[in-house]
Formats: sequence, C-alpha cells, structure tokens
Amino acid sequence: MSMENRRPQLSLSELHQLKWLLGGMLAVISAWTVLYMDVEAWALLALVTLAVPVVTVRPDWVARVPRWIDRLAFPVLVGIFALDMTTHLKEPIAPIIRLALMLVLYRVITPRKRRDDLQLILLGLFLVVVGGVLSVSIVFAAQIVVFTAVALIFLLVITLVDAMEQGLPVVAAADGPPAWMYAGWGRLGRRLRECLDWRVAALSVLLFGGVVGLSAVLFMAIPRFDLGNSLFLDGMMSRKAKTGFSENIQFGDVVDIQQDTGVALSVDVSDRSKVPAELYWRMLVLDEYKNHSFGMSPVLKRSLDDISQRTSQVQGDARLRADMPVWTFYLETGTSRFLPLLGAFYQITFDGQQDAAFSHELNLVALRRTPAKMLAYRVEGMPIGPSLRLPVEGGAVQVSKEDDPQRPVFTGLDLKENEKARLAAWVTAINAPPENPADFARRACAWLQKAHTYSLQSQIRPGEEDPLVFWIGSKEAGHCELFAGAFTLLAREAGYPARVVLGFKGGSWNATSESLTVRNSDAHAWCEIFDRASNSWLRVDPTPGSVAVGDPDNAPQGEAALARIRDHSWDARFEGLRIFWYRRIVNFDQTSQFELAHKAKKLVDGRLKSLKQALRHRLAEFKAWIQSPWDMHRVAVWIAGVLALAGLGAAWRLRGRGEWLRWRSGRAHGRKMDPVRREAGRWLRKISDSGFGSADLVAVRAELEDLRYGPQTRRSEPLAVFRRAKRALRAGTRLP
Amino acid sequence: MTAVEPVSSAVSAATDWYGVDFRGGRERSHRWRRLLWSLIYPQRGQRILPTVSGTLLITVALGIGMAAYNTSSNILFIALSLLLACLVFSGVLSWFNLKGVTWRLRLTPPLRVGKEHAIMLELRNRKRVLPTYGLWFDFKATGLAKSVRSTLGGRLDPLGETKLEWTLRPEKRGVLTVELVAVGSLFPFGFLRKVIGSELRREVLVWPAPVEYRRFPLVSWRQPGLGEQKAAAGQGGDLLALRPYASGDSQRTVHWKASARLRRLMVRQFATEMQAGFSLWVQTSAETWTRPEQFELLCSFAATLAEDLFRAGRLTSVAFNDESSSPVRSVRDLERFLDRLALAETVDLSYQPSTSAGSGRRFNLMTFAPDGARGVIAHVDGKPAAAT
Repeated sequence: MSMENRRPQLSLSELHQLKWLLGGMLAVISAWTVLYMDVEAWALLALVTLAVPVVTVRPDWVARVPRWIDRLAFPVLVGIFALDMTTHLKEPIAPIIRLALMLVLYRVITPRKRRDDLQLILLGLFLVVVGGVLSVSIVFAAQIVVFTAVALIFLLVITLVDAMEQGLPVVAAADGPPAWMYAGWGRLGRRLRECLDWRVAALSVLLFGGVVGLSAVLFMAIPRFDLGNSLFLDGMMSRKAKTGFSENIQFGDVVDIQQDTGVALSVDVSDRSKVPAELYWRMLVLDEYKNHSFGMSPVLKRSLDDISQRTSQVQGDARLRADMPVWTFYLETGTSRFLPLLGAFYQITFDGQQDAAFSHELNLVALRRTPAKMLAYRVEGMPIGPSLRLPVEGGAVQVSKEDDPQRPVFTGLDLKENEKARLAAWVTAINAPPENPADFARRACAWLQKAHTYSLQSQIRPGEEDPLVFWIGSKEAGHCELFAGAFTLLAREAGYPARVVLGFKGGSWNATSESLTVRNSDAHAWCEIFDRASNSWLRVDPTPGSVAVGDPDNAPQGEAALARIRDHSWDARFEGLRIFWYRRIVNFDQTSQFELAHKAKKLVDGRLKSLKQALRHRLAEFKAWIQSPWDMHRVAVWIAGVLALAGLGAAWRLRGRGEWLRWRSGRAHGRKMDPVRREAGRWLRKISDSGFGSADLVAVRAELEDLRYGPQTRRSEPLAVFRRAKRALRAGTRLP
Repeated sequence: MTAVEPVSSAVSAATDWYGVDFRGGRERSHRWRRLLWSLIYPQRGQRILPTVSGTLLITVALGIGMAAYNTSSNILFIALSLLLACLVFSGVLSWFNLKGVTWRLRLTPPLRVGKEHAIMLELRNRKRVLPTYGLWFDFKATGLAKSVRSTLGGRLDPLGETKLEWTLRPEKRGVLTVELVAVGSLFPFGFLRKVIGSELRREVLVWPAPVEYRRFPLVSWRQPGLGEQKAAAGQGGDLLALRPYASGDSQRTVHWKASARLRRLMVRQFATEMQAGFSLWVQTSAETWTRPEQFELLCSFAATLAEDLFRAGRLTSVAFNDESSSPVRSVRDLERFLDRLALAETVDLSYQPSTSAGSGRRFNLMTFAPDGARGVIAHVDGKPAAAT
C-alpha cells in the first residue's frame, strides 16, 4: 500500500501509547466519582489515582506482572466482593461500587486488549452514572461530558489501532513488553502536534459540542411517563445526616453545625413578594428535657416513625389560599431526614415516592432515612407570617401525662427540687403578667439577654447541677441552644407549655438564580410557646440579636426583606448554576416538558406573527409606493438606477472580477496561494472529475494548466479561460 | 460494468471511479429527497450492523432507558440521551468518513492461470479538509470460495490518493470476474459496521497456463522461398532487403530514405523473416477432446507454443476449427489468439479434424491431437513436432 500523505501520521506504536494514556485518564475520571458518593472506598480511589501515573510513566512494568497474578486476580476479586457484600448486606451498592473500582484498578495495572478496553469504558460509565444518580450533583454534568469526550477519543483510537493491525501481516508476538512501552511521552506529544490538523481538531470540537447539544435536545424531547416508582438505588445506600439534626441532639451540636458553610438547602418561591424577613426553617422539635438535655419524647418519635406506605404527597393541616406562593425546596444530600418547613402547610409533593411521616402535633415531616441524594419537594399553602402561629388541631396541648398517654406533654421539668426553686425565683424576677405567653416571652427574653451575651463558646461547669440551670444563674455568654433551652425551662416553670425547635434561621437571596440559599452555618435553635387564647404555638427566639416575638404589623416582607439578604458574590453565582441544574435538569418532568413545548410554540407563533406583520407592513408600503403618482422625473430616476445597477453588474463581470483577481494575485506572496492558480486548479479538478474528453475541454484544459502551473507573466486572460471551461463543461454535461 | 474485457483492449473502462456518492466517474446529485429515501430504503448491499461494542452500547442504553422510565431519574435520562447522541455522532462521522471517497479497480492483463497477479484498488479522497480512516474492501473473484479483504490501515489525507494491492492467482482460464463486493468501515467508534454494496465489477480474460513440452527434431520443415515473405518484420539477423510496409510492421523498421525516394513506405527486411514460419491450427472437436483436462492441456500447450513461436518470430498465422486463418503480425494478433484460447470450448465440428494441411496449399501447419490419455502432441504437417 502506498500513501501520498503530506502530513505525518501516528504509527501503530504511537497509537498504542495514546490508547494506554487515554485508558488511564478514563480510569481516573470514573474513579473520582466516589468523591461525592459517600462510599468508603478512599483507599481504592487513592490506589487508582496513584497507579495511573505510575503505569503511564512505566507501562513496561505492567507487562512484567507474572501471569499467575493475572490468573489469580479474578478469584481474589470475587472473594473480596463476596466478603464485602456479606458484611454490607443492607447497603449493597457500596460493595458493588468498591468492586467496580477494584476492576478499574485491575484493568489499569494489567495489559489491555480490545475487550479489556471496552470493559474499562463500561466500568467507568457505571461509576459515573451511579455516582450521578446517587448524588444528583452538578459535578455529574461536568464529569459525564468529560468522560464521554475521553471515552469517544479512546474508542476512536481503538478503532484506528484495529484498522491498522488488520492491514499489517500477522506477526507472532515477541517475548517481553512491546516496543511502545519504552517510548517517551514527550516524543508522543511532539508527534501528536505534528500529526494534528487544527482544522480537523476544531471540527471535532464543534461536532462534540453538537453531541452535547443534541443530547440536551433529546433529554428535553424524550417522552416522560410517571410510572410512580422510586429509584431502587436509594434503598441500597444510606447516609448519615451531615448537619447532625437528629432526634438525639446534644447541647453544642447546633454550634458544630454552624461551623460548616456548605449549602443545606435552596428554595424557589413562586411569589417573592411573600418572602418574610424572618425566615425560620423548622426541622425538629424537642419536647423532653431529660438527663440535662433536650430530646424528642418516645411518643413524638413514634408519631414520626409511623410510616405505613410510600407516598408522593403529604397532606398538612393548613388551608390553601390562592395568594399563597408555592415553595420548591432542594434539600442537599445528607442534610437531615427532617424536612425544613416554614410552618404549617397544605400539601407537600415529592419528585418521587418517599417514605414520609407527618406529625400533626409538631407540624413536622420526617423521612424514614436521610436522603442519599438531593431531595426536591414542593410545598403549597404554607401560611407565613413574621410571627409564627401554629394552630393545634384537636384541642389544646395537654399539660399532664395522665390525660392521654399517647400525646406529648410540653410542660415536663426533670429537675431537682432546688433547681426548680431557683427557676421559680427567676420566673418571679421576670415579673410577667399571667396568662399572656407573648408578654412573658418578651420579658423572659429580655431578662435572659440582660444576663448573658451571645457567644459560640460558653463555659458550663461540669458537675451534679443541671447545666442549663447553672447557666441561667451564671453570667456566662451562651449560644442559641442555651438561650432556647433556658427560655423553655423558664416558660414551663411559669406554667406555659414550651418546646425547643431546631432548624435554620435566615438565608441569603441569590440574585443570580433568584432563590433562597440556606447554609449549614444558618443552623439555629429557638422556642415555641403555647398560647391558650389562640390555641396555637408562638415562635420565640431568645437569642440576642433576634426579635423575641415577631410583630406581624411591622416586619418587612417581599422586596424590602430580600434587599437585606441579597447576595451578589461569586459563590452565589456558582450556587445559581447549581439551582439551574436542580430546576431545569434534575426536576425536569412531564409538566416541564409541556411548559417547554408551550413556550417553544408561543415563541415560534410570536415570531411568525411578527414576521407576518412585518411582511404585511412592507407590502402595504410597497403598494402605497407603487400607487403614488409616477411623474417623468421619478420614472427617469428609476430607469437610471436600474441601468446603473445593470451596468455595474456587467462591468464587474467583464472587468471587475478580473481586475480583482489580478490584484489579489499580485498580492499573493509567500504562503498565500495565488487565487488565479487556485481557481484554475478548481476547474481542472472539475474537468478531471467529469470524465469528459471533448475537444473543447482538451483545449481549455491546456489553458487552465498554463494558468495553474505556468509563470504569472505570460498568463492569458484568466476570466475568459474560466468562462470557456464552464461552457465546455456544460456542453459535456448535455452529452447523452 | 459487466462486459468481458479482453486483454487486447484493457484500458478503456478502467478509468471509472466509483464511490458512495460517485458512480461511473460522475458525482451523484445530493438531493434531500434522495437522502431521505435512502434512509428508508437503503441501496442494494448497504447494511449497518452493530458490532459487539455497538450491541453492548445499545444494551446499556436500553437498560439505562428502562431504569430511567422506572425511576424518573433525570440523571439516567441524561445518560440515555448522551448515549443516543453518541450513536448519532458515530453515524455522522461515519458518513463524513465515507463521503467523497472514490475508488477504481486496476487490473493489469495479461492474467495467466497459476501465476500471481496484482490487483490494485486506487483510492482517492475528494474531501478538502477531512481525512478518511479505516476502510476495508472485500474483493471476490471467480473461483475463490471466500472474499478477500484489503484494509486501509492508515490515514488517507484530504485530496490524497493511495493504492491497495491484492494478489490473485487465477485457477481457470476463461472469464475471471473480479468484484469489489463491499466497502466497509468501523470508523469512528466501532459501534456500527457500515457496509456499502459496490457495483464495481471487472471481467477479464485469463489465458491458459504455460506448460512445459518436449520438442522433436523436425526433418521436413519447409524453408520459405525467396519471394515468400512473412508479414512480421524480424527482430534480429542481417538486413536482407527492403519491402513495402504491411499493417502491423513496427515503425522502427521503416526505411525513411527509401520511402521518400520511392514515395511509399518501405521497411527493412531482416534475416529472421526468412526463417521457417508456422501456422497454428487449433481444432476443438468434442469428438477428439473427450477429457476436459486434456482439452485444458491443449489450450495451454497451444498458447505456450504460440508465444514461443511468436517470440522466435516464427508464427505466421493461427486458425480455429473451420475459421479462416488469421495472420499474426503483431503482439495484438497474438493476444487475440490467446484471448480465443482463453474462451475456447469443445465444439461439434462439421468436418473431420485433420493433422495435416490436406490440400497441400499450406506448409508448416501445426495441429494438435491427444497423446495417450493425458498428453497432447503437436504435429507439423502431420509429423510429431512437440508433446507435453
């Protein structure tokens, strides 16, 4: 086979070398998915990440691995997997991911044939897709695009290697590592630079952009049906709550959560004018004070663990009003199993089936386990005011356990008598009028804030004495949990049912995505006190810097509220990207499809309409112009105009183009190709391709060859020659 | 292109270029209607089959699609749409790869039975920017049980040309059909095996194989008289005389001075022209040649003798059965005779085959007859002259 190639091309050895490099890259890209999968496979990840550069620099080491290791590898891997699976039966996805990583590692450190390369691609695809499904992270989008690009180049190189090997005679494999394993990478880089045609590379990049674009179109166009199933992988993996918002929270836990600045949830609101200034995202209610800490009583726990069936909707106790906005929550991976809510609600809709329980007593919704991936849910009919009032369904809160053992009691004080006496003394000192919980709350908060300043560091002396009682009696600074706990004890001592609430306070308004962003650093503890008069719970925030009891008449709302928390930072912009990912990609469903189709139709209709209008307008203008009186002057001007245009066209045809070509030909020096030569070459190719051989064509071919290859000085008129070539070709085409 | 191509005129149709969008030296029209129709009803022989990796990809896509519908996971829908887009991308690149590639088959006659001949496929990439990779060409020839594959291993640059060679050893004389059965490619990702049926077919004649033979001393060869001339000018020996130009004479033998003087073309006559010439008379009577292998041997023997005699300048004419004899003056005449031998078959003759001139008008007439069960013997004027 002889080749007339002007550019050098990669040899088989170089292609093998490139294939090896791409395989390593693919392995690393896919292995790194475990970074956001919360699977204990760090050792394997480190091994893959280290092994790839090592075997890339010294591929010959791979060829020296004894064959018995190769034979032993499969049973060993199966054994490890079986053992791993046995010990993690409840979470089988983790052992499967570890197995995939082990196989990737094995493929990286052993010589690969075509089948092994394909296996590596499959394993990588599995890891990337499972990682994406489990995390729903925006990183997945970037990762799968990079993975696809590398995998396609990898496959292309495999195909080229196969084609090249097919064209070569079969040679018995020599002992020892093949020659390409000793070749340097610098040389390959130089050869790649030599062999690469930038036009082909640019076109490939463009085409790959087309692939991404096409996949976006397909993603939107693929018909969706709601089959009502939930993702099976969810059940194969559990996550520990990152924030620590669990039923068994200890003093100081919320402060720990505040150290994390990661995003906990993002919230879309359909009507921004309804966003209040004070945002308290309720997640957990602690009713029982026992063993010097607040916790959830077994009665409440039962109510939140009572999950009978999977559901995509939870009905709340609030009533739906037309002016209420719709809130869409995007709860980040591993935040908590308790869903953040601003208060009572009418209905919660999940993006799939969930194991969810609703506690009427607490107005809380809990899932069976912390979601392993981002959880999206839509809340409708959530009445939000600056001062939260949670109406209690089914009568007043009971104050004694004897009334109904199945219902919680929010008045219990598991304290010693002397501690109770101290509390009573402080309540007296607060000096609040009876049966007015709001007033008591204001006075108690003021009393607490007078005695204590806010600090994340607080000193509570260890000992027999109750820490909260000690703190109330001290002058120590305290954090939100201490303030909330102290207020609850004081309120209960005063005879008001009270409870500690945990969740987030505030958040920022992302100006890019126009959504609320709540971070873990917004974690907070506050209280709720029962108001018998209105038969509802009032929110009380005793922490300094907060409004103890909200004033519904003076609290800012809407734009005024958002202006205070607006965030324009780069972080916010990146967050905006993530919100876009959640809104448009992760939450894309049949409804979104209809909306998109509707929007597209509207856009096209609008454009067509405006085009029609513009045409109609132009037509009317033309008609008016035609119908306007034609005097001699107007006619003369128009005839002159048309003649001038025709003259210009003819002049261009006869002389202008020739002169233009001559001028450009004169300027063509160095690397620039003479346009006349190029045009002559084009006509020569046409004649050659036509296969005609008329006398005219033979004659004109000689002239064209003279133009193409002859000296510039003795050129005949190029345009005339090109015209003759055109005529001769046309005559040839008409031949039978 | 199916007409049998005699060796003597093996130049004509070889200039035809074929390709996906190029046929018989002409580019096909690129109409959308045609393109769409070709998607519904592909051309003859055109197939797109998934390879192992392609089947795997389709299976993975199906699995991901089912999981996506079952779980409503948009991540899976993204993966699915990317896989589908990759399949489309693969098709587009494959189309780009084949587009503008043209090929033509070059056979260089003469082809002889039992001898290796190079068959060449010229490839041309008419694209201006994009190179072409990884094409294979499946050839088939008469007598070959399996098609032979020739692969374009490297890159064919834009506006570049290359040649693929394939060696063929014909096993039978007669018409040999060389067909480019299919052009295929796994480019770019090896998901799909794209095969395009080719209409490129060449038929050439294969001459009989040369054979070894024994020569017998001839006692009664008649020497030609002085006035008796052989048309073909000799290639060697002394210059004997000048004679008028006859059709088939080489221009090199023209004596220009004498021609100018006599106002007619005169050629030099050399000593070799005066040597004894032979006429070959091949009779293919089915009655005589009952064994096919013996008949094949006859054809090979006759061809070998004809070539040897021509090379020695001693072949004057050839004749087949009851046809009139044709003078052999040039290589073209010899090739015509060999073409006839390539196609020769046994026939029922209306006359009695003879081993001699019979009428006595023709001398040094070489005829053939079976020699035992397997051999063939050549007689000159009825006397044994050579045998296989």
